[in-house]
Amino acid sequence: MSEPEIAPLLEVDRLSVSYDTDRGRLRALRSVSFDIGRGEIVGIVGESGCGKSTLISAVIRLLASNARLDDGAIRFDGEDLMSLAPDRMRALRGARLAMVFQDPMTSLNPVLSIGRQMLDVQYQRKASGTDKRERSLAMLQKVGIPDPERRLREYPHQLSGGMRQRVAIAMALLMEPALLIADEPTTALDATLEVQIIHQLKALQADFGCSILFISHHLGVIAELCDRVVVMYAGEVVESGTVRQVFHEPRHPYTRKLLECDPARISERTRQLPIIAGALPDLVELPEGCVFRTRCDRAVAECAQRRPALEDAGDGHRVACFVARSTS
Amino acid sequence: MSALLEVRDLYVRYPRSRRVINQITGRGAAWVDVVEGVSLDVSRGETLAIIGESGSGKTSLIMALMGLVTARRGDVRFNGEAVGRNVRGRLQPDRRRIAMMFQDPAGSLSPRMKVRSLLAEPYRIHPGVADDPDAEVQRLLDLVGLSPEFADRYAHQLSGGQARRIGVARSLALHPDLIIADEPTAGLDVSIQGDVLNLLSGLQERLGLALIVITHNLNVVRHIADRMAIMYLGRFLEQGPSEEIFRHARHPYTRALLSANPEPDPDARTERLELTGEVPSLLARPSGCEFHTRCPFVQDDCRAVFPSPTRLDTEHQVLCHFPLPDPDV
Repeated sequence: MSEPEIAPLLEVDRLSVSYDTDRGRLRALRSVSFDIGRGEIVGIVGESGCGKSTLISAVIRLLASNARLDDGAIRFDGEDLMSLAPDRMRALRGARLAMVFQDPMTSLNPVLSIGRQMLDVQYQRKASGTDKRERSLAMLQKVGIPDPERRLREYPHQLSGGMRQRVAIAMALLMEPALLIADEPTTALDATLEVQIIHQLKALQADFGCSILFISHHLGVIAELCDRVVVMYAGEVVESGTVRQVFHEPRHPYTRKLLECDPARISERTRQLPIIAGALPDLVELPEGCVFRTRCDRAVAECAQRRPALEDAGDGHRVACFVARSTS
Repeated sequence: MSALLEVRDLYVRYPRSRRVINQITGRGAAWVDVVEGVSLDVSRGETLAIIGESGSGKTSLIMALMGLVTARRGDVRFNGEAVGRNVRGRLQPDRRRIAMMFQDPAGSLSPRMKVRSLLAEPYRIHPGVADDPDAEVQRLLDLVGLSPEFADRYAHQLSGGQARRIGVARSLALHPDLIIADEPTAGLDVSIQGDVLNLLSGLQERLGLALIVITHNLNVVRHIADRMAIMYLGRFLEQGPSEEIFRHARHPYTRALLSANPEPDPDARTERLELTGEVPSLLARPSGCEFHTRCPFVQDDCRAVFPSPTRLDTEHQVLCHFPLPDPDV
C-alpha cells in the first residue's frame, strides 16, 4: 500500500482454503488478498459459490472441521490470526471482532429476553450488572429503538424484523469492536427498512470509528454504504478498488456483466433481461487458466494457459484479467 | 372482457386464541385480521405484482385465492365461478386451473424423487390428464429449456437456477390458466434472476397465462408486471398499471419504497423519501390511516379518520387522505 506508516486493521494475504470432500479437495478460496483500513467500510460482492462464507469463517476462525488452510495469512491488528492460541482467539471474537448475521431470527435466542442476551454478550467486561444494563439501554437507543426499557424485557418474537436486526447490530457493537463483519444483514428486510439500516450502520461507524466488512450481493447497497469493494468469483478476487473505480469503470469482464445484469440499472422496461450464460466451474476439478474464461466473451488464447494474477494499475484499482490489463 | 380472477372485498382472519370462551366474550383480541378488504382483477395473459414486506398479508391473500384458507368475507371468482369448497368438501373450481410456484424451489422438491417423478406426480394425482406421462415430462423439460437428461437427476444435483426451472415446469404440468409465483427470484443471484424472469414472461406469451407475482424486489416488478399493488398491513395502499406507478406514485409509502431502491452507482443522488419508525403489529393496528405512524406527511385527519379509496383514474387507486401531487403535473 502507499501508506506504509499505518498498517491496515485486517490483512488477508494470499489466503487459500480447501475442503476435503468425498470427491476430492474442493478449493474454496485461492490466493485471496485484500485489506481493510481503520475506519473503512469494505464491501464484498459475489454470487453464491464465490467463497464469501468460507472467507468470513476463516477470518473469525470458525471453519468447518474438513477445511484446510493451504496457504496465506490473515493478520488482524498486526497479529496472525491463524497461529493464535484458541483462548486468545476466543477473547477476540465478540469483543474486537463482531458479527451481524443475515437472519436475526436465527441469531437471536428465542427463549431468552433481549436484555438477558445483551447482558450475556458483555461477559468479557468487568462491570456490574446495572452498569451493563445501562449500556444495553444506551446502545438500543443509539440504533434507533423506541422505548428501549420495554424492549429489554421482551423476547425476539415480539419485535418486528427491522427491529430484530437493529438489536443484532446493537449487540455486535456493545463491546465496541474494531471490526464489524456484516453478512447480508439487510437481505430479509424490505427496501425502506434496508435503507434505514444502512444509514444507521454508516452513522454508527462514524460514531464508533470501527471498520466494517460488509458482505452482500446487492450492488446498490454496496455502492451506497462502502468505501471500497472487492469482487469475488468462484473463490478468487477478480477485481477490487474504491466503489467509484469499480462501479464507474469496471475492468473485469465479470464485474461488467454483473453490473449489466442488475435490473436496477435497466430503467427502461424490457422483457428480455441480460444474464451471464454458463455455470460456475467445478471447484474440485478446476480448469486451467482463468476461472471466468468459459463464461467470458473477451477470452483470448492466453486465458486458457495461465491464471491471471490480481495486479494493481497503480491507483489501487486491481484486476485479475489479461485482456483488461492490455486494453487499459 | 371480464377478468380471469376477480376478487372483491376479501377479508381473512385467523383465530388468535383457541379458547372458545375468549371468542364468545371477545376478551383480548381473539382474532388477527391479516387481509382487510382487498379487491383485484387479473386477466388472461396479464401479470399482477403484489409488493409488500413480510407480515403484510401477501401469503394469506394467495392462500385465500387458492381456497386454502377460508375467507371471512368477500368474493373470489375464477372464470366466473366462486372459489371455495362445495357441499362435499371438494375445492371449487377445479384446482388444476390455478398453479402455485413456491418460493424455495429446493425445499418444495422432494429430495428422494427424481425429476421425472417430480414432474409426473401431478398426472398420478389427476389421472386422465395425460395419456403418456413420460412424454409429458419431456414436453415440460423442453418448455423450460432443460435437456431430457435432467429427468434422471435428483433435486440436490440441480443448481439454484435449474431447480427454479423445475419448479416452473411443475406448475405448468396440468395446463393452468393462472400461475401464482411466490418470490420467484428470492435467493437467486442477479445473473440467474434475469434467466428465470425471461423464462416466465416467454411462457406467459406462448401459453397466454395469467400471472400473479409476489415479491419485494421492485426492480423485478418493473420488468415483468403489467399492474402492481402495494400491500401494507393487509390492505392495498396503491394499485394500478406498473408503468404509471413507477412514474407517478401517489401514496407516500409507494413513493418511499421506490425511492429507497439503492442504485449500483456511488454518485447516484436520488431524492429520497425516508420513513421512520417500525411496522406496527397486526394486533395493535393504528387508528385512522394505518400508515400514519410512519408517514412523513402525516396530518391530524390521518390519525383519526380512516381514508376511503380514491380512484385517480380508471385503473389507478390509492388509499390516502392526501395523495402526493403528481410529479409531472
